[in-house]
Amino acid sequence: MGLIDSAVDALETEVNNLKLNAQEALDAFEHDSAGAVYDSILTTQLGKVVGWAQKNALWPATFGLACCAIEMMAMANSRWDSARFGAEVFRASPRQADLMIVSGRVSQKMAPVLKLIYDQMPEPKWVISMGACASCGGIFNNYAIVQGVDRVVPVDVYVPGCPPGPEALLYGVIKLQEKILNEAGTDSAKKRVA
Amino acid sequence: MSITENGLLERDKDTMTLNMGPSHPSTHGVFRAILEMDGELVGTAKPDIGYLHTGIEKTSEAKRYSHVIPMTDRLDYLNPPGNNLAFCLSTEKLLGIEIPDRSQYLRIIHCELARIASHLVWLATHALDIGAMTVFLYCWREREEILDLNEEISGVRMMTSYIRVGGVAKDATDEWLRGVRKFIEHFPAKIDEYEKLLTRNPIWLDRTEGVGVMSRESAINYGMSGPALRASGVDFDFRKKRPYSGYGNFEFNVPTRTQGDVYARYLVRVEEMRESREILVQAMRDLPGGYYKNPDSKVSLPDRDKLKSSMEVLIHHFKLASEGFKVPKGETYVPIEGPRGEVGFYIVSDGTAIPYRVKLRAPSFMAIPGMCKMMEGSFIADVVAVIGSIDIVMGEVDR
Amino acid sequence: MTSEEIVEKIKNDLGDDILSVEISLGDAVVHLLPPALPKVCEFIKNDADLDFDYLSNISGVDYLDLDREPRFEAVYEFHSMDKNHSVRLRVGIEEENPSVPTISHLWKSADFPERELFDMFGMNVEGHPDLRRLIMPDDWEGHPLRRDYSLTTEDVAFSFNRDYKSELVKSKPPTR
Repeated sequence: MGLIDSAVDALETEVNNLKLNAQEALDAFEHDSAGAVYDSILTTQLGKVVGWAQKNALWPATFGLACCAIEMMAMANSRWDSARFGAEVFRASPRQADLMIVSGRVSQKMAPVLKLIYDQMPEPKWVISMGACASCGGIFNNYAIVQGVDRVVPVDVYVPGCPPGPEALLYGVIKLQEKILNEAGTDSAKKRVA
Repeated sequence: MSITENGLLERDKDTMTLNMGPSHPSTHGVFRAILEMDGELVGTAKPDIGYLHTGIEKTSEAKRYSHVIPMTDRLDYLNPPGNNLAFCLSTEKLLGIEIPDRSQYLRIIHCELARIASHLVWLATHALDIGAMTVFLYCWREREEILDLNEEISGVRMMTSYIRVGGVAKDATDEWLRGVRKFIEHFPAKIDEYEKLLTRNPIWLDRTEGVGVMSRESAINYGMSGPALRASGVDFDFRKKRPYSGYGNFEFNVPTRTQGDVYARYLVRVEEMRESREILVQAMRDLPGGYYKNPDSKVSLPDRDKLKSSMEVLIHHFKLASEGFKVPKGETYVPIEGPRGEVGFYIVSDGTAIPYRVKLRAPSFMAIPGMCKMMEGSFIADVVAVIGSIDIVMGEVDR
Repeated sequence: MTSEEIVEKIKNDLGDDILSVEISLGDAVVHLLPPALPKVCEFIKNDADLDFDYLSNISGVDYLDLDREPRFEAVYEFHSMDKNHSVRLRVGIEEENPSVPTISHLWKSADFPERELFDMFGMNVEGHPDLRRLIMPDDWEGHPLRRDYSLTTEDVAFSFNRDYKSELVKSKPPTR
């Protein structure tokens, strides 16, 4: 018998022992928790699952208005990388988007256009009002600017700042995701698609 | 030809009217063009602007001079320091005050960094419109460095309001100076990187060469300015021709091209980034010492650290910040060279602390009729190339 | 040419068409009345010494609050690309039926600023090929940059000078 053959035998024995041990452990586990793991059902509402899916795949519309749009572009870029939160697929067509980031001041002339674009988005849809101008008119309290985009479309999250940094906007997106998850399966979520 | 009342395209002739914008990813904001198409060719292009009208000029008539400065940031939001500088230069000319050397240099460094940042956004979006995604990500990488520098010196990433009447808001910090030195050290390699991707790229050349051509005469007649004018063979740069703010102390070239097409404008802007970097190198080398703003206490706010120890300084600060300073009667206009061309404020003063009339000369606003002229006769796909090459910013178009 | 030489030349060659010339803070300024504008513009554009081939800017000003005659003014800023000098034309415009002739046949760049004059100040630009509102919506009422047009539509809750602020507010219901 050569040295190699004896080594092979030793190894085979070892492996067999290990297999037996593993089988024993598995049998013991199955015996202990029979029916608890394999037969269990994770119960949840379908609405919750849908909400969870929607939360992690927000598609913002490419709707840049003013200064804030530059920071919105920065958010999508490599340094801030909104892809980490599943909100990076900017869609040029509102019909493919479910999140509208109103990035900048809304003028009286733009307000009907904004409403039209919002109406074109499929339901359910959410709106983030980015920056002071979109939220309340900001420093421009004058004849030309709509004093808050919430007079035109319903807003879910307001992000303050002039302009808010990408990190602030990301925080706004995360807050919106929390809101979507909390709302999932409730009546208010149903109303969004009604 | 027009769009019918219920928003449908009119098709009674061979041509088709196509509405582009105001919400379009490639119009750089809320610009709207109504294109009359003959097949794939653009017949006429009619611009429609005003979707971002903010009433800044009217609002300025109710604010004090120092309170107008933050609003000028929001006009051309890719070049806030340039707007601050244009407004401050006009106001300072009316006031007749001198600016110390150190603040002149700090202003120039700040403005040239902004010019590079603005050109980076232009290159990023222009390349993205034509279909080059990589350049987009590369350019934003360098822009973030400049924005970090802005944040270090002024506390804000974009809307710095760092340049004030009489000087600058605060002295340069060591960290900022280190950051600028580091940036100018490695920036040339980054421009090489962009050029490697685009300058001799056959797809890029096909999309840009011979597209949107404008001759020297029509560029002047249409009031184009900045890189769009220099790409058509006009050697005109206010930094060189009428040095303001101490630009006379610097040696730099004004890049020009004669082709007048989209590719020429691309080359001019890329070359300008290198020249801006040259100016930054010289400014960092020669940065003089001294005080960073005019010591005239009628105009400049007192130092912040004295506010905590002296009651008189605190009262003075409060009065100057809330009541402002009176500017002598008169009207003036000082043009400067922004990233997009000639920027200037026509200010009418009635002798009070509130400007009577503030009017911005916006390069993008003047360039739009010329830009639409360039589109005529080109393919629909070239429209976005032309818009990108002019680099319009709707904030200053609609004001 | 220096500003002094420019105003001297314009004064000598166009003495009858202009009202006065001045040097204001180093800038050459020419005052004139609307009917003379096209002629003066044509002269300064085509004259070999002046050669003002570049129209930089047109600003409107409403002097209502300063009690000045005439009420409106249009301010034209010209550069010469080759000669590198500038001039400013200030055209006084009457309050009654304000109108100014177009110069868009000389400079294409006058197109937008002249429409802006119409939009923001209600000035009738005679001979303009396409005189419509430029910035405000087509159905907008009033001309915002006139001094008697109110700045805001909403009152400010906190203000150190309430009387002044209330003057700026237009009594208009909140939008939409």
